[in-house]
Amino acid sequence: MSLIGAIRARVRAMLFGRALDRDLGEEIQFHIDLETEKNVRLGMRPDEARRRALAMFGGAARTREDHRDVRPMHWLADAASDARFALRGIRRAPALAGAAIVTLALGIGANVAIFSAVNAVVLQPLPFPAQDRLMVITEENPEKKWHHQVAAPANMLDWRAGVSDFADVMGYVDGAGQATLTGFGDPQPLTSSWVTGNFFSTLGIKAAIGRTFTDAESWRSAVPVVILSDAAWRSRFGADPALVGKTITLGGTPTQVVGVMPSGFSYPAENIDIWLSVEWNPANRASEGFRRAHWLRAVARLKPGVTIDHARAQLGAVVDRLKRDYPATNKFMGAEMLPLHDFLVGDTRLPLLVLLTSVAFLLLIACANVGNLLLVQAATRERESALRLALGAGRARLVRQALVESLVLSAIGGCCGLALGWAGTRTLVRLQPAGLLRVHDFGVEPRVLLYVLGITVASGLLFGLAPALWLRRRDPATVLKDGGRGAGQGLRARRWGEWLVIGEVALAVLMTVGAGLLARSFWQVRRVDPGFDATGVLAVQLSVSRSSNEASVAAFAAQLESRVRALPGVSGAALVSNVPFTGTSYTSDFIAFGRPAGGYGTEVGHRTVSLDYFTLMKVPVIRGRTFTADDRLGAPPVILINQALASSYFAGEDPIGQRIAFDKVPNKETTWYTIVGVVGNERVDALDVAPRIEVFASELQEPLHSPTLLARTSGNVAGLTSGIRAVVRELNPSLALLKVRTMESLRDDSMARIRFLTTLLVAFAAVGVTLAVVGVYGVLAHVARNRTREMGIRIALGAETSQVRWLVVRHGLRLTIVGLLIGGGAALWGTRLMTKLLFNVQPNDPATLTAVALLLATTSIIAAWLPARRASRADPASALRAE
Amino acid sequence: MGHDAADVLRGTLDLLILKTLTLEPMHGWGISARIEQVSRGALDVNQGSLYPALQRLEQRGWVGSDWQTTENNRRAKYYHLTASGKRAVGAETASWRRYVEAVELILDIA
Repeated sequence: MSLIGAIRARVRAMLFGRALDRDLGEEIQFHIDLETEKNVRLGMRPDEARRRALAMFGGAARTREDHRDVRPMHWLADAASDARFALRGIRRAPALAGAAIVTLALGIGANVAIFSAVNAVVLQPLPFPAQDRLMVITEENPEKKWHHQVAAPANMLDWRAGVSDFADVMGYVDGAGQATLTGFGDPQPLTSSWVTGNFFSTLGIKAAIGRTFTDAESWRSAVPVVILSDAAWRSRFGADPALVGKTITLGGTPTQVVGVMPSGFSYPAENIDIWLSVEWNPANRASEGFRRAHWLRAVARLKPGVTIDHARAQLGAVVDRLKRDYPATNKFMGAEMLPLHDFLVGDTRLPLLVLLTSVAFLLLIACANVGNLLLVQAATRERESALRLALGAGRARLVRQALVESLVLSAIGGCCGLALGWAGTRTLVRLQPAGLLRVHDFGVEPRVLLYVLGITVASGLLFGLAPALWLRRRDPATVLKDGGRGAGQGLRARRWGEWLVIGEVALAVLMTVGAGLLARSFWQVRRVDPGFDATGVLAVQLSVSRSSNEASVAAFAAQLESRVRALPGVSGAALVSNVPFTGTSYTSDFIAFGRPAGGYGTEVGHRTVSLDYFTLMKVPVIRGRTFTADDRLGAPPVILINQALASSYFAGEDPIGQRIAFDKVPNKETTWYTIVGVVGNERVDALDVAPRIEVFASELQEPLHSPTLLARTSGNVAGLTSGIRAVVRELNPSLALLKVRTMESLRDDSMARIRFLTTLLVAFAAVGVTLAVVGVYGVLAHVARNRTREMGIRIALGAETSQVRWLVVRHGLRLTIVGLLIGGGAALWGTRLMTKLLFNVQPNDPATLTAVALLLATTSIIAAWLPARRASRADPASALRAE
Repeated sequence: MGHDAADVLRGTLDLLILKTLTLEPMHGWGISARIEQVSRGALDVNQGSLYPALQRLEQRGWVGSDWQTTENNRRAKYYHLTASGKRAVGAETASWRRYVEAVELILDIA
């Protein structure tokens, strides 16, 4: 019987807990009856007999309780009853519970939203098979200060051939380009990506219909090939399954559709419509240009079982060989290899980390606040607890009860937080600037749910710990002796509450300093003068047919400019290869005639502009002249340089009239350009990136195949767009307007990232400060209430109202100042980690620190004021009578 | 039921119950009455700990129980020793004796 019986008893106890209770009740009843009969036999009156029998038993309820503790799994039943008790408590004090739940929901909600983003960007693997074996290989050139540079095709092919650890190496052009589709109604702009033939096979992605590119298709063939995205196939071609194998016209070139990718695949950029093969010219394989021009992002796939270090060593050997074999291009050209995932996460890691830290602090503040609320509640319920202890309730049981209560609160808060967080992720997806989060859509996933569960339980334990531990230490005798005024006068309870508030203030200081520094940076970026006037300028990107000859391209440009200039409301029009904030066309080496080679720090950026560009953009001509109509095809080549180049390379001399070439070491075929003018600097990369050194060629001498048309208007931009569209259609019906943007929106985009971060951090910090200030208020209100008697006595003894008020305010200030000191110290150390995100602001910026200190001091004085006023109004008579 | 009766030590209650049950199956009140009677009122079973002890013994498989009718025609839960319970009485008794001897030894010497 022994073992089986024991098991049976346990199972029975678990399954039939209630029935056993009934059994036990009957058994005890029987016992009491017999005891009563015995007492009657001994000569007692019946009621006395029964009372004695009951007393002997020590309380039927207590026995039942003890009895149940012996039963296995009793804690489960206890937890359920504790939870019921907690829910009753919540109903009893709905305001307190509501405040706690709202506070927690805010903290947890913010965490859910930010963690979802972190999960999607950093934690989720890339959607490729065996993605951990995909490595980016970048070119590193200390001489040109290149870091994580795109690769030259020849180098990429040599790595592929020379490193046996690589299963394959492919390349693609970073970001997305544009191509015009004609022959399907109006010309349509398509978002395109240029890739090598082995791009798809290296990633390990197959086509949904047809095939992907072959390796041979990296090289130019008779008919160019294209692969469509699922979205483009559906929206532009009506999901025609017979499209594969047919020819469509892209940029005037007949191109054969060979496949359609599965839905959801869009790499390397978002919303790619088509993938085009790079179409290298086989004749160029051995040419220097094939190794000099860097334009492919190279990605290798490691063979299974190969370590990164081993592959890196092999790559190093190949790179060293290329340095020796091709000194003209590769003398200083190193290579670096890192996992593709790490590379893509890259610089979004820091902003996300900062956001995550910020919301973690927010949750901690929320926990401290709720902990304080519960502490106050526990203090007011002190008599109840003491009574229960005196009546024989287990101390452990009371602590457990307190913890269950806080867990129930945190569970409710967690559910509300999850809902809030889900809404938050939707907002984040909508607000995020392009390219910050890489993934354009993310949601609440299993891992996020796990995280929520974790932080919910952790915060429940965290804020439940203070009241629970405090409860454990109380001696019921002292509490009960205290009599009716027991409510939380315990110095210890107050001390704990004060430390919680100091912690809150310190965390709020950290959050606010972080947010303040970013806000200062954002303000600095906004104030930056980009070097041109963006107001009212519309930028329209066009793509001229690839097959057109130079003369017809130039003619088209001239007509376009003059026709647009004649549109109503247009005060000027010009053409440029790249508008500011979108980078330069390309960069190259350069050398001035008669100078030794290699005397510069970095490469020069090239842009091509039409005659009116500088006038239109209000870029000043500092020396010399701009282009004239005489600087045309066939005339001596002339060039303009910007001030950055003039003051660095030509420091102390007059650049006008000097000749410049764009080779590292000039030779007989080198074209020398004469510098005719110096123009002002423009911020071509972004508002927060210093102007680079630039040269400008005339569009009349180097016709633009893919120009951006700039038009300045004082009127309606939308109306202008349709006017320009009409002009373009009239001049060349096969052209589409690829991108239409105002310069102002490009300028805003350039600040989008820092604005996004600033907005979020400031919002979180605002919530954090509010919670901290509420915490200060809560503790002071409690203090003021408990010191009413003292205040009454002071007033009775003749203290001024202001003195009494000052007592409470001083108390609040003391808490805030300790919090400020701790938080400020931590901020001095912690904000250094943010340095990379800041612009023209030092991480220990005194202005920000002072402002934060003032903000928190002021708000906490206000928070202290209300309780102070109440305390000072204490009526001495009633305060004394209350005892 | 004298007021100077000692409370039964918690650990020894199990042994007393087992020993009492070796005579015949009994209900809870019977067990406590028997212990009181046999010890001539010297031992007073705290009845609040009697039933948890019975439950404990039942779980260890030393004691079994079933509902029976008393001579007065009332329903009562009767406890009886199981086979392993009988073995346990021997072992527990021996270990108690050793304990008592040890305590007496110390008391005599000191």
